[in-house]
Amino acid sequence: MGSRQRRVLAAIVAVCIVIGAGYVIAAAFGPSDVNTDAQPRAAGGASVPAGAELIVRGVDPGDPRLNGQIFVLERGHAEKIPGSDLACERVYFSAGRGLCMAVAPSGVEYEATVFDSSLQPVKRLGLTGLPSRARVSPDGRYGAMTVFVAGHAYLSGGGFSTTTTLVDMRAGKEIAQLEQFEVLRDGQPFDAVDFNFWGVTFAKDPNTFYATLHTGDRYYLVEGNVRERTMRVLRDGVECPSLSPDGTRIAFKSRIGDENRWHLEVLDLDTLSAHRLAEDRSIDDQAEWLDDDTLAYSYGHDVYSVPADGSGNPQLLLRDASSPVAL
Amino acid sequence: MYQVASKALLKPRTWAPSGVRPKVAHNVVMLGFVSLLTDISAEMVATVLPLYLVFSLGANPLVLGAIDGTYRGAAAIVQVLSGLVSDRWHRHKEVAETGYGLSALCKVALVAVGSSIGAIGALVAVDRVGKGIRTAPRDALISLSSSKAGLATAFGVHRAMDSAGAMLGPLIAFGILLAAPARFDAIWVVSTMFALLGLAVLVLAVQGRPARAPRPDSARPSLRSALGLVGDRRFRLLLVAACALALVSVSDALIYVGLQRRIDFEPAVFPLLFVVTALVYMALAIPVGQLADRFGRVRVLIAGHALLLLVYGALLLPSLGFAPLCACLVAMGAYFAATDGVTTALAGAVLPERLQASGIGILTTAVSLGQLASSVVFGALWYSIGLEQAVVVFAAALIVALLATAPLLIRSQREPLGG
Repeated sequence: MGSRQRRVLAAIVAVCIVIGAGYVIAAAFGPSDVNTDAQPRAAGGASVPAGAELIVRGVDPGDPRLNGQIFVLERGHAEKIPGSDLACERVYFSAGRGLCMAVAPSGVEYEATVFDSSLQPVKRLGLTGLPSRARVSPDGRYGAMTVFVAGHAYLSGGGFSTTTTLVDMRAGKEIAQLEQFEVLRDGQPFDAVDFNFWGVTFAKDPNTFYATLHTGDRYYLVEGNVRERTMRVLRDGVECPSLSPDGTRIAFKSRIGDENRWHLEVLDLDTLSAHRLAEDRSIDDQAEWLDDDTLAYSYGHDVYSVPADGSGNPQLLLRDASSPVAL
Repeated sequence: MYQVASKALLKPRTWAPSGVRPKVAHNVVMLGFVSLLTDISAEMVATVLPLYLVFSLGANPLVLGAIDGTYRGAAAIVQVLSGLVSDRWHRHKEVAETGYGLSALCKVALVAVGSSIGAIGALVAVDRVGKGIRTAPRDALISLSSSKAGLATAFGVHRAMDSAGAMLGPLIAFGILLAAPARFDAIWVVSTMFALLGLAVLVLAVQGRPARAPRPDSARPSLRSALGLVGDRRFRLLLVAACALALVSVSDALIYVGLQRRIDFEPAVFPLLFVVTALVYMALAIPVGQLADRFGRVRVLIAGHALLLLVYGALLLPSLGFAPLCACLVAMGAYFAATDGVTTALAGAVLPERLQASGIGILTTAVSLGQLASSVVFGALWYSIGLEQAVVVFAAALIVALLATAPLLIRSQREPLGG
């Protein structure tokens, strides 16, 4: 390397350092917040089912990844509980205990917060990936969180996997990962390297839960038992199950072909047969039962509802909101 | 550029790690810096791209997996072609520059079009092609810059610097996000700077015609003679042996999932396994390379696979404590140090100067196809007969492969291929 080359290289190094460091310093002192103040807006003419009360997360349509504040929907108005600054990416609440999955203040890590009925944090838990689904059992005893863990390429190289964790909501502690449970299919032990679980929903007896088990090109509905740490396969083609309040039906998203597009369906747990709902758009959400006849779900930056029996039409419930939770 | 003859007469400038011999050529260290800077740039982006796609752009993480999987195959083919082109026109440095330049261009483009998922998919693809283009000519330059006696050491130095970059990249990315939360654009800009620095070092500080390079006026090898390498008995021995060993070697990711099932450790610990292994690899790459040059590359390669066999054994134990787990991680790191660069050094030693890039390109592609097949087969076995049984099958296959390939490898090293 001649002296001319050396001088050119030194100049390039200097320029690169100045640009890189300068940009980072400017970004560090620029505006950067992981939370938004965006407020849900009641949709004009939307009929909130009688008696329905909801918790939702506000969505900033310009930057939907930001943690949204938690609002309580009463009499058709979204209202913030005074004194709470809880902000989440996913939220769920039941029987006085809530679970909030959020981007941590650093902006690159994720954390979960167990909160009480006044939306005050009780306990914080670290998350190992991007928040995907949150649920709490009807009696507030157990919680379940699914995160996307990107970059753990097992077979496909650069693929993704999920981790679903069960949480003791009273102690605010993790109980187990669903990956550690024993799975039975047709009475036989069932195991594969590419097992992924997501979308837990709890029954009234909180030891019973349902979830999706993905392996190969199958998306099994499994019924699990928290105490016995077991699961058994019920049927294929069910993602993000959600058990109805009366415990007889499961709403879920059904994959259309090989694409990442889904229809909402409801299946009867006795017969395991399903019917489509009157929503033609692709829905990527774990639906929430407002009551035994109506489901709510996120689409785009808004929350919609649709009858569970396949009749009627989707109704816009709230604009700039997601993660609906029936109270 | 045309001082080859006089340069070759001069004693090449050398750099020796803490006074140990054999010495490593200046060119190899410079290529190490190119890889270090480029890997920092690449890993910065690779680490945060999934987060960015999902959070900033609302993409499904499946998108990224599909993008990555699709273009792996394409990169393998490009690798062979770029090796052939480098040899055919005596243009190793220029072809490598094209590959590094393409990847640097991708980082610049990311700053410009960073908010379109489709564009990011295309950039990931072009980046992979760039990686495919640069690997064979770069390894050929390392080989041609080094004495045959010091090949494994030279590759060890390069791989150590390369993996240092791969470890620094994520640290720098997270450091930036800590200082400026959620400002992914700052990561793209800094990544671009590192990519440009790497390219600048390559263009300005790397010798295009190193000591062992064929003279520019020497006969151009035809594409047929390059492809004819596959028909050459001794190169084929090496190719078959390396491919067979890759086929029976379970990937680190799958081994760690297996260990996780065994020990039940926290999932948060999982990424640490890769970090520890990479650290061991980085620390051992140079000494193991020196060992290989002194006591025999084939011996070291086989010893490396024996370490892998020990890890298989650990997967069969009913339970595993903390100390044995650490031993497994050290063994994995040492296994990488004893196999990755050493395999390329084996090729560099037997290939004629005029066909270095072609041969290395073919070998690297064969090994990565073997690794891909191994992952698919191991996953299928795990699914159908269970983890322990799959490990037993692979352990038996590894023992058979070692016994079968050791003589092939030794024979392949006995005399260089005819020029």
